[in-house]
Amino acid sequence: MNLRIVVFFAIGLIIFILDIGFNSEQDSKDIYISDQELTSLLSAWKSQVGRPPSDEEIVSIINNFVQEEILYREALLLELDQEDRIIKRRLAQKITFLKQETIPDDPSQEELENFFELNKDNYFVPATYSFSHHYFSKESNAKEIAAKAFNDYKTNGTEIIGDPFFLGKNFYQKSANEIKKNFGELFFSTIENLSLNDWSGPHESVFGQHIILLKEIKNGFSPPLEKVLLKVQQDYLSQAQDKAIDEYINEIRSQYRVIINPDYKF
Amino acid sequence: MNKSFIGLIVVSTIFLIYATGFYTNFQTDSALEVIDFSIDQPEIENSVPPNPDRIPLYGDLHVHTKYSFDAYIFGVTATPYDAYRYAKGETIKHPLGFDMRLREPLDFYAVTDHGFYMGMIENYADTSSEMSKKEWTKPMHNINRPENVTTESLGERADLFSSVISQAIVQPYPYWHPKLWKAWFTNNIQVALQSFDYDVHKSAWADVANAAEEFNKPGKFTTFIGYEFTTSTDVEGGNLHRNVIFNSSKAPIRPWTRIDSLNPEDLWTWMDGLRDKGVDSLAMPHNSNGSNGQMFEVETFRGNPISIEYAEKRMRNEPVVEITQVKGTSDTHPLLSPDDEWADFEIMDKRVGSRPPTYSMPQGGYVRDAYLRGLTLEWEGRGNPYKFGLIGSSDTHTGAGGFDENNYWSKVGVLDGTDMSRGSVPLTQDRIEQLEEYAELYDQPISIQDIEGRTYADVGFDQWSASGLAVAWAEENTRDSIFQAFKRKETFATTGTRMAVRFFAGYDMQSIDIDSEDMVKNAYAKGVTMGADLFSKDNQTPQFLVWAQRDKLGAPLQRVQIIKGWVENASGTPKEKVYDVACSDGLTVDPVTNRCPDNGAKVNINDCSISSDVGAVELKTTWVDPDFDPTIKAFYYVRVLENPTCRWSTWDALKAGVKPRPDLDETIQERAWSSPIWYIPESRQLDIIPL
Repeated sequence: MNLRIVVFFAIGLIIFILDIGFNSEQDSKDIYISDQELTSLLSAWKSQVGRPPSDEEIVSIINNFVQEEILYREALLLELDQEDRIIKRRLAQKITFLKQETIPDDPSQEELENFFELNKDNYFVPATYSFSHHYFSKESNAKEIAAKAFNDYKTNGTEIIGDPFFLGKNFYQKSANEIKKNFGELFFSTIENLSLNDWSGPHESVFGQHIILLKEIKNGFSPPLEKVLLKVQQDYLSQAQDKAIDEYINEIRSQYRVIINPDYKF
Repeated sequence: MNKSFIGLIVVSTIFLIYATGFYTNFQTDSALEVIDFSIDQPEIENSVPPNPDRIPLYGDLHVHTKYSFDAYIFGVTATPYDAYRYAKGETIKHPLGFDMRLREPLDFYAVTDHGFYMGMIENYADTSSEMSKKEWTKPMHNINRPENVTTESLGERADLFSSVISQAIVQPYPYWHPKLWKAWFTNNIQVALQSFDYDVHKSAWADVANAAEEFNKPGKFTTFIGYEFTTSTDVEGGNLHRNVIFNSSKAPIRPWTRIDSLNPEDLWTWMDGLRDKGVDSLAMPHNSNGSNGQMFEVETFRGNPISIEYAEKRMRNEPVVEITQVKGTSDTHPLLSPDDEWADFEIMDKRVGSRPPTYSMPQGGYVRDAYLRGLTLEWEGRGNPYKFGLIGSSDTHTGAGGFDENNYWSKVGVLDGTDMSRGSVPLTQDRIEQLEEYAELYDQPISIQDIEGRTYADVGFDQWSASGLAVAWAEENTRDSIFQAFKRKETFATTGTRMAVRFFAGYDMQSIDIDSEDMVKNAYAKGVTMGADLFSKDNQTPQFLVWAQRDKLGAPLQRVQIIKGWVENASGTPKEKVYDVACSDGLTVDPVTNRCPDNGAKVNINDCSISSDVGAVELKTTWVDPDFDPTIKAFYYVRVLENPTCRWSTWDALKAGVKPRPDLDETIQERAWSSPIWYIPESRQLDIIPL
């Protein structure tokens, strides 16, 4: 029983000593440049310059590398990496990328469906309106003329003859925004409340009076997932990346305590 | 023997160049390599059929973001993506922290960052970049850290712009350096500059293209891949800037810039080369007003006489010109058009970017003068290089154009983002001291002035404008439809207002009932529209048809004018004349003066309200030129004027609760200009006198 403990500690001690022996890199003054490292240095040079480096250039590439490594190590020994805002920022950036990359590229169908359900509003296809109108320019005594023309039409079936409207007479499948753009807010709020296939008017806009026939309303709808799959995928990924970072920070944050001098004058 | 020896050397050298891979490089980095920037996007159903009568689509083709070398120094961190979001009606932030939002969304938009050094300044400022290790980039390190984007950083930024950058960025690598050789072999001079990182540059350009691709939605919103070719003449600093836009998702691997060549003719050669590869593009000159008369010269860049080839090449590549933008309007100048009462409008008479501000000669700098010069050159048998259509655009450097007089932030970010820095409101004592301090610290000219006992910033921004928009008559809101409108010059420009104008000419226009529903259809069938040529037909007198509609949110219309220019056959003397053709409020044009009587529209300077009962919703007329001569070549373009409204500087003063600056115009008349219609007489038989 006791022997077992002794052996256990002895083996542990041997491993510990071996570890010190092999991993004393911190104090070691060896700079080991691996084959991979060399290949990547040379190919980076080649891709920038467009040809392989000459022997002389290879020497200078390696010298530069060595010099950088020496300065880097000496700086570490002097602990120059501590409390450096740029190094902090760079490391923070690195861990951010790392966390972003942990997101799987291919979200499952179920994940996409859930995401789509939650964000349906973003993929909503807005309602459109198709209508015709007779226009009476503000220049004339528009309201009276329009009212009379409309009345004649209703009582005697007289054809309504107004002024030509700058953008035409018939409008096909226009969204709310397009109607507001072409006629203004007031006109759109009129259109919204009209009943279908029934001439009505005169209604006012900035430009004058209108007698309007609303022919069709295509209600806004949420398209099925298949129709917008690519967009949903893109949105899902970008949201998942943001979320991953937020979650990661929130998780760790509770372990930290932030102390700020309460008497500091901002 | 000797000859064949030289031949052998030549052949083997060429072989060596191929063999060592230089040739491949030449291909790779040539500015003619075409990249398809299109991205995988969900298909959008565009169920709305094209409108054969065409619809007016409003946009801005001149927008800078953080990738422009100057914008970044002005504190701008808005990306091309932010710019497109703004155009679609979303709110984005000005560098000084306030919200920027359009009154209503635009139909199309193009981010056109300076091609020259695109993306580089941000890279200098980023202290983790390779470039930032260079000593001279130090003043730019982290320049746009949030706490430094303030009006207090103005002196530092002005200094960077005027001295640091211009000195540092032209240093080439020494002759033995591989990058210099690469530059030579790839015909890409920028690579030879110590301050230039080609990979950073290319990725900025790819990002600009990607943003355009992401936001282009056929039928709803159109974008163009584009950039600004920011060149100038090497003497006198005459601004020769133009924006370049591409017609599809395909664009070159990098923008052709002033480092490649200062000469715009080389730009056109490059564009011709791309066209041969199926990538169509067009270049749009701007700020001819600040070119010291060199934008519309009567000789070439190198001082040679203009030829028919030059005229054809220019017109093939530059069908439209920006007549109005934030740095003033280039219709005409009071010195050029003394008989035009509306010529003195938003004149910016300094050379672009000149320090100290230097006067820009009007001759050769304004579009009306250019049209006349074009006719004169043609009269001399040298072709017409100035037969272009008109657009407006903003040239904003914040990603967001300010088009409304009462919703305006000028264009250069931190430098002119407040009323005081724009010179519209008197400076506080603090700001006066600050500006004096900067002047001394950075050896800048004194930039304050006293006007009637009050002290204002004197920086030239007071000559800038809340302007302008490009409008295309297109069948539908797609890239192709709008691009084709530019190519056939069926466009008009506005000073930011959303008014609209149609313009036709023909020999049977009077048979069209202008009050009928199919008037537009008939006009297209029987005549030509803006941007086109009207050929002589048996010496008949043509009739013109104009129809203008007001901006529903702006001021009503006051009058419609037709501006005519021609060259006398006998003497070659250029002439111009302005005709009022339609007046508001039932008024009629005086046939002797060709003017509408005053409609009495007023502006109340105390609150910027306008007369509500005068002005027109629309103006419509047919017109015949009373001085028409069928043998004389002439151009006709329309100018539509709104009733007067407060200028942005008056709005600034009103909001600050101070009196408007007395030497600035209190009000302006917003306006639109159509592209001209050119009347082409039958070619005359010359009497040849045998020698």
